[in-house]
Amino acid sequence: MRRRLSIPDLGGARAEILHRPHASVAALTRQLQAVGLLVECHWPDLPAAARAADYLFIDVDTAHDDQFPWEPGEAPLPTIALIGYEAPGRIEWLMNFVADAQILKPVGDNGVYSALLIARATFDARIGLAGEIDALRRRLGQRQTVVQAVALLAARGKTEDEAYAQLRGMAMAWRVSFEDAAEAGALWLRDHHAGRGGRCFRPEYRAICAGRTTVRRADTVW
Amino acid sequence: MNRIIDLGLLFSTTGPYHLMGQASRLGALKAIAQVNADRSLDFAFRAVERDPGGDIDAYAPLCEDILKSSAARHVVGCTTSWSRKEVIPSLERMGGFLWYPTPYEGFEASDRVVYAHACPNQHLLPLLDHCFAAYGQRLYLTGSNYIWGWEMNRIAREASDRGGADVLGERYIPIGSTDIARLIDEIAALKPDFVLNQLIGSSQYAFLEAMADLRLRDPVFSEGHCPILSCNMTEAELPAIGAAAEGVISAGPWFRKLAPALPGNEGREDFGSSFEAVSHGSVMMLARLLASSPDAETASLPELLALPDAATLGISARTHHLTLPVAITQVRNGAFVPIKTYAPIEGDPYLTRTQTPVVLPLIKVVI
Repeated sequence: MRRRLSIPDLGGARAEILHRPHASVAALTRQLQAVGLLVECHWPDLPAAARAADYLFIDVDTAHDDQFPWEPGEAPLPTIALIGYEAPGRIEWLMNFVADAQILKPVGDNGVYSALLIARATFDARIGLAGEIDALRRRLGQRQTVVQAVALLAARGKTEDEAYAQLRGMAMAWRVSFEDAAEAGALWLRDHHAGRGGRCFRPEYRAICAGRTTVRRADTVW
Repeated sequence: MNRIIDLGLLFSTTGPYHLMGQASRLGALKAIAQVNADRSLDFAFRAVERDPGGDIDAYAPLCEDILKSSAARHVVGCTTSWSRKEVIPSLERMGGFLWYPTPYEGFEASDRVVYAHACPNQHLLPLLDHCFAAYGQRLYLTGSNYIWGWEMNRIAREASDRGGADVLGERYIPIGSTDIARLIDEIAALKPDFVLNQLIGSSQYAFLEAMADLRLRDPVFSEGHCPILSCNMTEAELPAIGAAAEGVISAGPWFRKLAPALPGNEGREDFGSSFEAVSHGSVMMLARLLASSPDAETASLPELLALPDAATLGISARTHHLTLPVAITQVRNGAFVPIKTYAPIEGDPYLTRTQTPVVLPLIKVVI
C-alpha cells in the first residue's frame, strides 16, 4: 500500500539540539528557524524538560548514554542523528540508541526539512508498531486461555465448533477481542464448576452460556 | 571613480518556456539600465549573460561559468524550480547567490537564494479558496511532469482534504509534450467544477486549445463553466495562447494595470508581466542593498539581508522570501481582469504559519 505522508505541524514546534557550539549547529538552527521551529541548544547534558519537545537532534560523534534522561532505545520524541565520524563503533552506539532520521555533518544549506518529516513519520510508525506488537504478544499469551475455555465449554456438552461459535458470539456481544471473551468465559466457567457462583457478573455472558442471544431477567439476578 | 559591479543573468530565451525567460531577462535589463542611469548610486552594473536555452543540464555549468569568468557574485536567473535546484550546488561551491524571480512551489529556503516571486501561500492557496467558494468542490489536477506540478498538486490535494473537496483525478504530461488527448478525455468524462493546471509552455498551450475545442462541443464546459486555473500564467504568454486563454483564472503578485507594482519596483509600473516586474524589482533591491555600504559587493547574501534596508524592502532574513500582494484575475478579452486582491502577505515556504490573507479591494486598477 502507498503511504500518504501526513505533514506534521512544524510552525512553532520545539526542536532541541544536543551538540557543542559549532558551525553545524548554526547551520542547523538557521534551517530550523526558516521552517518555522523554535530552537534550543544544550551541551553537555539534555535537561529532563527536553522530553516535552517535538524533535531532538543529537551529535553521534560525541554522544553517550549518560547524556539522556532515558534508557537507550526509548527516546520519547523523534530523534535525528547528526553523523560526522562514520566509525563503526559510533554507528553501533547509534543503532542501540535508535534515531528516526539522520543528517551527515557538516550541516550545510539543506537536509533538515526532509529529516524532520522522515523522523516524525518513522517515530510515529515505531510507536504504532510497538503498541501493535504488545497487543499481539498479549493475544499470543492468551492462546492457552482459549484452549481452556473451549475445553470447559466442551465439558458442558458442546462440540468444539459450537464452543468456538459461542466465544465469538460473546466477543461480539461485549465488543471485546475473542481472547478477552475466552478469558472471562474460562474464569466464569471455572468458578461455576467450583461452585463459587462466578466472578463474571455480565448478564449477556450468562445468557450466551445458556445458549440464548437475549438477556432474561434471571440473568441479571444473582 | 564609480564602481562597476558584475551581475549574472541566467535566463533561457529559447526552448519550451522561452517567453517566461525573455520576460524575466527584460525586467532585469530594465533595472540595470535604471541603476546605471541613476547618478545617486556610486556604481554601475555590468550584465554577464548566459543562455541555457531551456536545457536543464546547461544551467549549472553556465552558472559556474558566470561566477568563474567574471567578478559577479549575484546571479538573477532560472525560470523552473528544476533549474534552480540544479544551480544551488554550484552557488555553494563557487560562493555565488541567486535571485530567483518566478513563482515556485515552496519547501525551500536556501541561504544562497532570494525567492523574489510568490510561493503557494501567495498564489495557490488564495486561488483555491476563491474557486472552492465560487465554482464548487470537485476539482481535477494536472501539470507538467516535474517538481512544480507534483508539489503544487500535492498541496492542492491537502487543501482539498482539509476543506472537504473532492479531487476527481490527477494526470501529468512530460515537459514539452503536446500529447494531451487522454487528459482531455478524462476531464470530459469526469466533469469537474474546475481544473488546476500546472502545465508549462507548449503543453499548456496545447491543453488550453483542446479545452477551448471541448467547450464548443460539450455544453457542460460552455463559457463560464469549469474554469482552468493557473499559478504562473501572465501577460508574457497571453499572446502565444490567444483566444484559448479566455476564462483562465490566474493568481500572482501583480498583473498589468494594477498599481502599485511590487517591492523594489520603486513606483515603476511599465512592465509586461509579473515575471518582468519581479525581475526588475530583484535587481533594484540588490542595488539598494549594495549601495548601503562601500564594499557591500563582497558581503554574503545573509549579511546583506541582515541590513535594515532588507526588511524595509520586504525580504525576510529568516526565509529569504518576500512579502507580496496577491491578485486573482481572469482572462477576459485578452487581458487579466482582477477579481480579488489581497493585502501583501509574507511568503511562508513551509506553510507553517497560519495567516489568513486579508481581502483588499483597494489596489487601484489603472485604466
